[in-house]
Amino acid sequence: MVDIIVGILRAILFVVISYAVVFVAALVNIVFERRALAFMQDRHGPNRTGPHGVLQSIADAFKMMGKEDFRPLLADPFLFTLAPVTVMIGAVAIQLVIPYTGGLMATSLNVGIIFLVAITSFTTLSILLGGWSSRNKYSLVGALRAAAQMISYEIPMILGLIIVAMVVGSLRIEAVVAFQSGYEWIVFYAPFSFLIFYIASIAELNRGPFDLPESESELVSGYGTEYSGMRFGMFFLNEYAGMTIMSMVAVTLFFGGWMGPFAGAIDFWGVDWIGIVWFLAKTYVLVFALIWIRLSLPRLQVDQLMAFAWKVLIPLGLLNILATAAIMLWVPSWKWGLAVFSWVAFFAFVGLLDPILKRRLRKLRERQPVVSA
Amino acid sequence: MYDQFESPEPDEAVKLALRRIDEATARGEGSDVDGLAFNEVVVNMGPQHPSTHGVLRLVVTLDGELVKDVIPVIGYLHRCKEKLAERRTYFQYIPIVDRTEYVASINCEWAYVMTVEKLAGIQVTRRAEFIRVITGELMRIASHLVAVGTFTADLSPLGTAMVFYMFRDREIILDLMEELTGARMMFNYFRFGGVRYDLPDGWTSKCRDYLQKFPKMIKEYEALVDDNAIFLQRTQGKGVITQQDVIDYGITGPNARASGVELDLRRSRPYSVYPELDFEVRTEQHGDIFDRYRVRMDEMRESVKIIEQCLDMLPKGPVQVGSLRAPYVITPPPGSCYVGQENPRGEFGTYIESDGSRYPYRLKYRDPCFCNLQIFPKLLSGNKIADAVAISGSIDLVLGGIDR
Repeated sequence: MVDIIVGILRAILFVVISYAVVFVAALVNIVFERRALAFMQDRHGPNRTGPHGVLQSIADAFKMMGKEDFRPLLADPFLFTLAPVTVMIGAVAIQLVIPYTGGLMATSLNVGIIFLVAITSFTTLSILLGGWSSRNKYSLVGALRAAAQMISYEIPMILGLIIVAMVVGSLRIEAVVAFQSGYEWIVFYAPFSFLIFYIASIAELNRGPFDLPESESELVSGYGTEYSGMRFGMFFLNEYAGMTIMSMVAVTLFFGGWMGPFAGAIDFWGVDWIGIVWFLAKTYVLVFALIWIRLSLPRLQVDQLMAFAWKVLIPLGLLNILATAAIMLWVPSWKWGLAVFSWVAFFAFVGLLDPILKRRLRKLRERQPVVSA
Repeated sequence: MYDQFESPEPDEAVKLALRRIDEATARGEGSDVDGLAFNEVVVNMGPQHPSTHGVLRLVVTLDGELVKDVIPVIGYLHRCKEKLAERRTYFQYIPIVDRTEYVASINCEWAYVMTVEKLAGIQVTRRAEFIRVITGELMRIASHLVAVGTFTADLSPLGTAMVFYMFRDREIILDLMEELTGARMMFNYFRFGGVRYDLPDGWTSKCRDYLQKFPKMIKEYEALVDDNAIFLQRTQGKGVITQQDVIDYGITGPNARASGVELDLRRSRPYSVYPELDFEVRTEQHGDIFDRYRVRMDEMRESVKIIEQCLDMLPKGPVQVGSLRAPYVITPPPGSCYVGQENPRGEFGTYIESDGSRYPYRLKYRDPCFCNLQIFPKLLSGNKIADAVAISGSIDLVLGGIDR
């Protein structure tokens, strides 16, 4: 009997925590991004609401809640309402398998990594529903772009994650974190896999340079064009919470999760409190990287985006798996072999992608017909 | 024709777009992918759309991501500028010219004032001519900054950063202009035979300071985008305007020069003191989006050169003809006159017909944006939506000029 009550309380606790993380992360990220972008763009950004503008997104959230609950006449009423309700499911459910810190984890699934991948694709469905049911042409184009993009980039994301499972030998996320204790972060062994995973996850989040589904200069705001008020707010919160959630996944799988100096020093109720600090710190380094990337790259075009997924990332991901498997099978101290291979691949990719692209562009430019006489 | 998203009552432009789809289908040219014959969608881009830089409306026929047909619809910013002239004296009309093409308003003023001067036979003082060139070229820089900034903003959040950097520089120009004229956008500064105020004390040194810093800034901007593979991929070889197009559609300004047409009224039909100044007409060869961007960047450098020369050569003397009071009421002799002037966007022509009274009998503008807009259907069709947005950004339209 006690077990059941404890189980129910535990379930409620983790649902509350998951939702709290989503909302708080979204509100924090919105201000964080606006301030960071403002800093990089030589302007002030929101700095009036609260100290340094930290309360800005709370004010915005209240504003959105106070807005009219508007639905276009021709929209499908049921699906139009359903889409913003379900859009959060991915971001919330994904946290079921993420250990925030030692002892603070909802469930320890034995198929954790598969669960992660499966649940991230849920957002696609909501976006497609929302875009399709609003009966707006911009929304439709945006939703179709989103579907095409997210389905394409799921594959390289999985290809990146498979390496983690191969190295650790388990799909259980606790095991992945335990493997990385003693600073043996998987990113040291497989930086190239992390790169593939990270690029694909930016595309999964619909963030720049892959923000085609809501590219505001082309499609007004893509799938969310007809949404306003809190319905728009749900899409918006999901998008910004997604930054933190994806970074949490990356930290858990590649950057040693909650491990760090003094982790486990303060231990109340079986929870490691220093671990939370490390976990958040690592997460927000990656969130900042997301913001930085967004500012510094122009948006890709649809065909370029698809070409990048199918012609670059997926073949490289498959080759990476093949090479990793070969190294693990035949090289005696495979950890070192893998590290050497993966770092070489990482630097080759980072160093060669730009020159190769530019060489191709230069050749194209030379062949381009001159219109002047 | 079956349009799943048919709006209750399509207006003329949408009807035209739908009719064209029908006609294409009847000719057997309708898109037919996997046996689905009717998959075109007519989309209204604008008048309220983030990428049209004003109230331009494009009725776009989309086939998936592909733009099949474009019908530009204008007139949302029509303010009867030409009719207003007929009920105002020549002098009263000057502030209204400012508001035609508000991004480079002083150049519009210049075109109008030059036409009236030619019509009435008024001689401009030499110092005023130099001040006119300085202000005109400053506003050319400011206008190109807006053009390039907003164009890159259409491409990406990176461009949003570019906009802020460029507006930061434009702000300094506006400060200079404010000090000189008292206004930041609508200057009302030119007078028949001269300009309203002389340069204030210390203005030239401030201007020189800025001109010294500015080329470094241009280099920074170029470093930001010229070396970016994604930017190059999105701009090179897209939206090509050929030389024949330039002639057929009457395209002028940087858009024509990007196609290798060496057409610059400052050289080919010189006015003011431009013949005495040493500057190059910058052209490019390919006529694509990237070249149009490059021409604007190069022209800013040339403008800097021009202003520096003007500051060096600036003669002493009055800035208005005659007494302190400029001729407030002038009555040009009956006749008509057309003067073309090199606006940042192309040839801004003013045609005035006078019947000898205090009011112009008729005034007509030849606006560069209006003529450049006409190539849109040809240029945009067959591209992806994203390209179409980039191309329309690179043409650099100002709706105030188009609708007048």
